[in-house]
Amino acid sequence: MNHPEMHLTTDELELWALGLLGAQRAIHLADCSLCREIAQRERKVILELVQLPHYGPAAGFADRVMAKVKVPTPSGDWEGR
Amino acid sequence: MAWAKQGHEAAFRELVRRYERPIFSLLYRMVRDRALAEDLAQETFIKVLNGIKSYRPEFKFSSWIFKIANNAAIDHLRKKHLDTLSLDGSPSAETPEQMRATSLQLGDLGESPLQQVESRELGTAIEKAISKLRPEYRSCILLRHVEGYSYEEIAESLELPLGTVKTYIHRARNELRVYLEDRRE
Repeated sequence: MNHPEMHLTTDELELWALGLLGAQRAIHLADCSLCREIAQRERKVILELVQLPHYGPAAGFADRVMAKVKVPTPSGDWEGR
Repeated sequence: MAWAKQGHEAAFRELVRRYERPIFSLLYRMVRDRALAEDLAQETFIKVLNGIKSYRPEFKFSSWIFKIANNAAIDHLRKKHLDTLSLDGSPSAETPEQMRATSLQLGDLGESPLQQVESRELGTAIEKAISKLRPEYRSCILLRHVEGYSYEEIAESLELPLGTVKTYIHRARNELRVYLEDRRE
């Protein structure tokens, strides 16, 4: 663990943004305006990223994939398609 | 996975069901074209499922499938030089007129319904900022903060040294922050 008076590392800034920073280092953050400012800027970007939605392919995607996949049979043969 | 390796079609379908959205989302954000992303996603799943017997269980399945998807996207971008396209105009444009002339116009009346969907989905500031990142940075930042993978998993998946992954992600976040702050000013 880093010394309590050391500024937060980039990894620690990320941990803080994700709510995972340990209490010892969080104390430094509370006392250090420089780290706090950097951390808040990092958090803004990370929050935008984690809130991004997942998109899905068009309906029937699995069927289209399965139509082109050779499914091996339990005996080890390949089921022709 | 064991069931899939034994050749159960239901297990194959379950793998597609479980990974189709994360894989498609990654590819879509990499190439910014729905139809192309779907082709690449299909190619990824076909490669993975047809090669399931070569899967090594000591590696995470997600690392394997994301590696194949990412390689498909990077190969495509290299071939087509899509990564040099910019929504705000060519990187070599020096005047506002040149920027306008070379920019991709979102929401044009002439857009097809599919293009309109793409404009709506990928038209936000953060999506535009992501599109400006180098492809290598883009895949790392998406895997880290959209898919929630650890640095170690990303390194394994993309076959990059851990330090490189960390550097890419930190640089990507800095570039995103600068781009977003510039837009707000």
